[in-house]
Amino acid sequence: MSSRTTALTEALHAYLLRLGTRESATAQALRAETLKATRMHPMQISPEQGAFMALLVRLIGARRTLEVGTFTGYSALVVAEALPPEGKVIACDVSAEWTAVGRPFWERAGVADKIDLRLAPAVETLDALLAEGGAGSFDFAFVDADKANYDAYYERCLALLRPGGVLGIDNVLWGGRVADDAANDEDTRAIRALNTKVQGDTRVDITMLPIGDGLTLAIRRAQD
Amino acid sequence: MAATSRRAASPHRPHRVSLDFDKALYGYLLRLGLRESAGARALRFKTLAAAPPRRHILQISPEQGAFLALLVRLIGARRTLDVGTFTGYSALVVAEALPADGKVIACDISAEYAAIARPMWESAGVAGKIDLRLAPAVETLDALLASGGASSFDFAFVDADKESCDAYYERSLELLRPGGLIAIDDVLWFGAVADDAVDDEPTRAIRALNAKVHGDARVDMALLPIGDGLTLAVKRA
Repeated sequence: MSSRTTALTEALHAYLLRLGTRESATAQALRAETLKATRMHPMQISPEQGAFMALLVRLIGARRTLEVGTFTGYSALVVAEALPPEGKVIACDVSAEWTAVGRPFWERAGVADKIDLRLAPAVETLDALLAEGGAGSFDFAFVDADKANYDAYYERCLALLRPGGVLGIDNVLWGGRVADDAANDEDTRAIRALNTKVQGDTRVDITMLPIGDGLTLAIRRAQD
Repeated sequence: MAATSRRAASPHRPHRVSLDFDKALYGYLLRLGLRESAGARALRFKTLAAAPPRRHILQISPEQGAFLALLVRLIGARRTLDVGTFTGYSALVVAEALPADGKVIACDISAEYAAIARPMWESAGVAGKIDLRLAPAVETLDALLASGGASSFDFAFVDADKESCDAYYERSLELLRPGGLIAIDDVLWFGAVADDAVDDEPTRAIRALNAKVHGDARVDMALLPIGDGLTLAVKRA
C-alpha cells in the first residue's frame, strides 16, 4: 500500500542504509575515499542503488555486464561482487584519474580480474564490442555517463544485450528538470528525448523508478 | 522522496527529500515512466470512487505496479502469490505480465473489496489467471504448503496486515522456488520504523521483520525507497 513515495529523512535514510543494504566493507571504504579524493560524490550512485543493481544482477544470474560511465568504480565493484567467479564487467570511462581511485578497492575486494576497464570514449568501446560480434551477448548494462550521448549508449547497449537482458539508465529525472519547461539545455533535452523514445519503444518492457535521480529499467524483449 | 503526499494523516512529516516530486515531475513519471493498461487505470479510478473514505491509499501506486510487472516479466514468472489483494490492482498488473498459463493466488479477507476487483479483472481479460481466496492469508498459505506447494512459486507480493508480516514472509519464502522473488511493501511505514517515539504493534512487527530479512542467510536482499519502502528478497539456492 503506497500511493506515493515516503520522504527520506536523515534518520530514515540511515535506517535504510543499515537494514536495507548489505554493503561490503570494501564498498563502504571506496565511498569514503571517493568523497575525499573527488569532492564529487553526487556522481556516485547511492549505496541503496548499488544494492539494487547487485540484486538485479543476482536475480537474472548475469555473467557478462556492461557499465557506461565508471567514475571511481563503485557500481563496477558492487556488480562484480554479485557476479559468479567467471563473471565480467566491461567498464567504460574516459578518466584515468577517477578510475584510479577505484582500482585498489577492486583489488582489495578480490574482484579486479572481473573488471575490464576500457579507458576510451564509451561509444568507441561499445562499437568495438559490436564489431567483434558481441551483439546479444550481455545480460546486464548500466548507463550513467554524459547525457548528450545517452541515445547512442542506449542503442548500442540494447544491441549488445541478449533478449531478456536488463538495461538500467540513471538520472532520467535529472533533478526534476525534465518536467520543468524553463529548462532547455542540451543535457535536459537529450534525457527528455530518450525518455520519450524508451516509453514508446516496442523492443523493450520498461519502468521508470523514482529512486535516486530517476532510474529507468528496460528489458529487451525476445521478439524484436 | 515525494514532498507532496496524499497521506496528510501521517505524523511523520518529511524533513529532507532526495528528489522533490512536485506535481509536474510526478505527472512526467506517470506519463513517460510506465505503460499502464486501460484496465489497470480503470481499476485505479474505480477504487478511488468506490473504496471507503481514506482507504484508497491501500492501493499501490501505478509506478509500483509497473515495477512489480517488470520484475514478473524479468524472471519469467508463472506461479505468483498476492498477499493482501485489496481492490485488486497489484493482482491485475501482475496477471497482465504473466504468460497465458500464469496464475496469481490472491489472498484477502474482504468480500467488499473483492466485489470491486472482480468485474475489473473480467473486463481487463485476466480474471482467468487470478484465483482469489477469501480467507485469512496464513490459512491460505498453510493450505498451499500442506498440498505440496513448497518451492513451486516464482514470485510473491506481500502487502497486508503488518502484525502478521513475519508469518507471511516465512510462508512465502517456503513457497518460493530457489531464485524466486519476494517483494514486501511498506517496510519504511511512513518513516515510523526509524522514529524512536513510535512503538505500536505494526511498527514493531515491521522493524523486527526488516532486521530479520537483513540478516537472513536464506536470501539476497535490497530495500528500495520507492512507495512506502519495498524490500526485494531473492531466495538463495
